[in-house]
Amino acid sequence: MTLPALLAHLYTDAALRDEALRDPAAVAARFGVDRAVLDGIDREGLVLAAESFARKRAATARPSLWRRVRALLGRP
Amino acid sequence: MDRVGIGWRRELAAGILGNLDRIDVVEVLAADYPRRELNALRSLAATVPVHVHGTDLGLASSEPADERRLSRMARVVAAIEPEAWSEHLAFVRGGGVEIGHLAAPPRSAASIDGAARNLARARAVVGCDPLVENVATLIDPPGSDMDEPAFIAAALEATGCALLLDLHNLYANATSFNWDPRAMLDAIPPARIGAVHIGGGRRLGARVLDDHLHAVPDPVYSLLAEVAARAPGPLTVILERDGRYPPMPDLLAELDRARAALRLGRARRAA
Repeated sequence: MTLPALLAHLYTDAALRDEALRDPAAVAARFGVDRAVLDGIDREGLVLAAESFARKRAATARPSLWRRVRALLGRP
Repeated sequence: MDRVGIGWRRELAAGILGNLDRIDVVEVLAADYPRRELNALRSLAATVPVHVHGTDLGLASSEPADERRLSRMARVVAAIEPEAWSEHLAFVRGGGVEIGHLAAPPRSAASIDGAARNLARARAVVGCDPLVENVATLIDPPGSDMDEPAFIAAALEATGCALLLDLHNLYANATSFNWDPRAMLDAIPPARIGAVHIGGGRRLGARVLDDHLHAVPDPVYSLLAEVAARAPGPLTVILERDGRYPPMPDLLAELDRARAALRLGRARRAA
């Protein structure tokens, strides 16, 4: 795994985020990265960034087919 | 001659088309446009200088860029024939996971090497170099061993690309992480600044979120004047606004403020 892979998981997976803050050595080992990356992580920034990315994903998510059909029928 | 323009958004289309006498350049987002809209954007590019702006290539990564997205960018650039195209020095995915937005890469040699490889591939697929943009971040990028000015300067050197300097991103990062934004201007050769973004955001505690939903704050205009005082050639400045759209006169007033900042900087340069 690469460092971008670990970061992408951390930014999108709340359970992994919690685990990384609780047990950085275990998560770093699982992703094959230097544990110093997680030991020194900006904890406040991690939470803020993850929340911001989640808002972006929610804002750009395509509605499900069922929702689009209901919208077309005027039944949101 | 310096130019000032705005990002094309469907919600702003009528306002932009009705005020092209006050808009020098338009920036269009790269997307999967239907043929009819692509033709309309090509017509726009025949009327006013157009830049195409990408947001999801994820070029600043040790992982390879997505070939389908590179091909889409090539199609958009070929169809619109813009004056320039641009993308961020960011990563957007890793290990098969999509983050959903632009993430600041680890500021490291590995990211710079990856950016150089991905930019070379982008150049080959699209046919020309993009301008590369500095990104805003709420997290001090994990795995970094250099500061942002050094990282951006090294990335420009390694990729050979010019910089799309986003002044609100610069202001946001400098404020959030407590450093002087002029350090970035000191680190970058002014001739490498190919274009400038301005925009707005909001505070999240001690940090600044770059959300493009608010007016351009005063410190960004001050930075724009500083850039104009240093840049040897003409600057292209683009206002980014992604929602909570104010009336068009308000946006035009922001363009006028940018012009005033440019004039102020140019006067300082001449003095």
